[in-house]
Amino acid sequence: MTGQGVVSPVGTKVDKFWAALKNGDSGLGPITFYEVTDDLRCKIAGEVHDFDVQKDVGNIDVVRADRFSQLATKAAMEAVEQSGIKDLLAKDGSRTACIIGSGSGGLTTLETGYRDLYRDKIMRTNPLTLLRTLGSSAAAHVSMMYNITGPTFGVVSACATGSHAMGLVYQMIKYGQIDAGIAGGSEASLNWGAQRSWEALFVLSNTGCFPFSKKRNGTILSEGSGIMVLEEYEHAKARGANILAEIMGFGMTADAGDMVHPKVEGAAGAMQIALDDAGLKAEQIDYINAHGTATKTNDVTETNAIKSVFGDAAYDVSISSTKSMHGHMLGGGSLVEGAACIKAMHDNFIPPTINLNDPDPDCDLDYTPNEGREREVTYTMNNSLAFGGLNTVAIFGPAPK
Amino acid sequence: MDEVATKIVEILKKNMKSQPDKEIDMETELTDLDIESLDLAVIVFDIEDTFSIEIPYNANEESGDFNTVGSVVEKVRELIGNSSDAVA
Repeated sequence: MTGQGVVSPVGTKVDKFWAALKNGDSGLGPITFYEVTDDLRCKIAGEVHDFDVQKDVGNIDVVRADRFSQLATKAAMEAVEQSGIKDLLAKDGSRTACIIGSGSGGLTTLETGYRDLYRDKIMRTNPLTLLRTLGSSAAAHVSMMYNITGPTFGVVSACATGSHAMGLVYQMIKYGQIDAGIAGGSEASLNWGAQRSWEALFVLSNTGCFPFSKKRNGTILSEGSGIMVLEEYEHAKARGANILAEIMGFGMTADAGDMVHPKVEGAAGAMQIALDDAGLKAEQIDYINAHGTATKTNDVTETNAIKSVFGDAAYDVSISSTKSMHGHMLGGGSLVEGAACIKAMHDNFIPPTINLNDPDPDCDLDYTPNEGREREVTYTMNNSLAFGGLNTVAIFGPAPK
Repeated sequence: MDEVATKIVEILKKNMKSQPDKEIDMETELTDLDIESLDLAVIVFDIEDTFSIEIPYNANEESGDFNTVGSVVEKVRELIGNSSDAVA
């Protein structure tokens, strides 16, 4: 991995994001993006306020795109800049992939378009409505920006989207199909209609995001994007790139069970596959960035899955849910959390799970409550356990010597 | 330039991919501006929205209305006239 980029409610750009996580800062607050009607039970969200598409991106196609594509482009710009492959791509982007997904793509464009059309009877439809809505448009915009002419598309797996994208690029590199790839996910679906549909599932909290806590009462929606640049090792080495981390292993499974009730076996299976792929034993993992959504079904199932794979080592590994600070970025989240894993390794520091004073007795592992702490970190695990029982687990390690 | 022409030039400039300082007059050919087909669709939409008119534009047909900036302005003036007649 030679580049990473983050847009999140606790900060745009990796360094700002990481400083906030280390400090235990929350990016969640009152909704300002749309009118908060009295009938909304949850009036909190994780909005990104330090991003200005005109100033930060400028490119007219992206300025006119849906916000999910804008956030993805911003994160991709940071990752590509850091990797230093921009000039290389400008010359020849044919052996490079661009796989950037989203849980629900241009949902806010759709909401606005339908409101105009059906409710307000505005019969003129913006000609970009369709293109903005496409779940593949973030990948398309980034490919155009950097002349990527290899495999380019979006993937969809709700909250595991970014991680699935990364897994695909990782496998394409292993297979020898590409030398490098931009991978990630993005979500910007904070709108009134989406909030209502999440509320209808009874999975949102009206007070905050409290993973693994007794007072946990649901998750908080947020927006953001996490992007990584992956590269074949010899390719990166030959051009003298600064290698940030090695993708050690990747595992993916499906529960084939229920849309919203995860299974221990599905999550545990993905962890085991990732460990086997990495050639590591569970006890070698120092930090797990948990999916940790602060819903009862997730937190207990994930805890039990960790126990089933790690055995006694489950009590030694440091775990945290950084969603307690940045909320649930859905399709955008998994590689933002991946960035936290990489920074934890670089800094030998475990970011905390904030708001965790009174843990759920069924969640009895070390979730790094309230304050982060120093710890030697060599290998990290990034769990993404999505609706539909779609699971991914990535394992990161230090750059090969 | 009258108000209609000024507003149309503003819309064109907003949707051009480059040359933000380019001098635009009534003789300027649209093909001399950095505008692609998708940009033209957005420009038509913006003009319709600004003047509350409907432009019978089809990206798949050749039309003299979109040759020069002046021809666009003429077309819009004509449509504004028609729509006021209709109201009257």
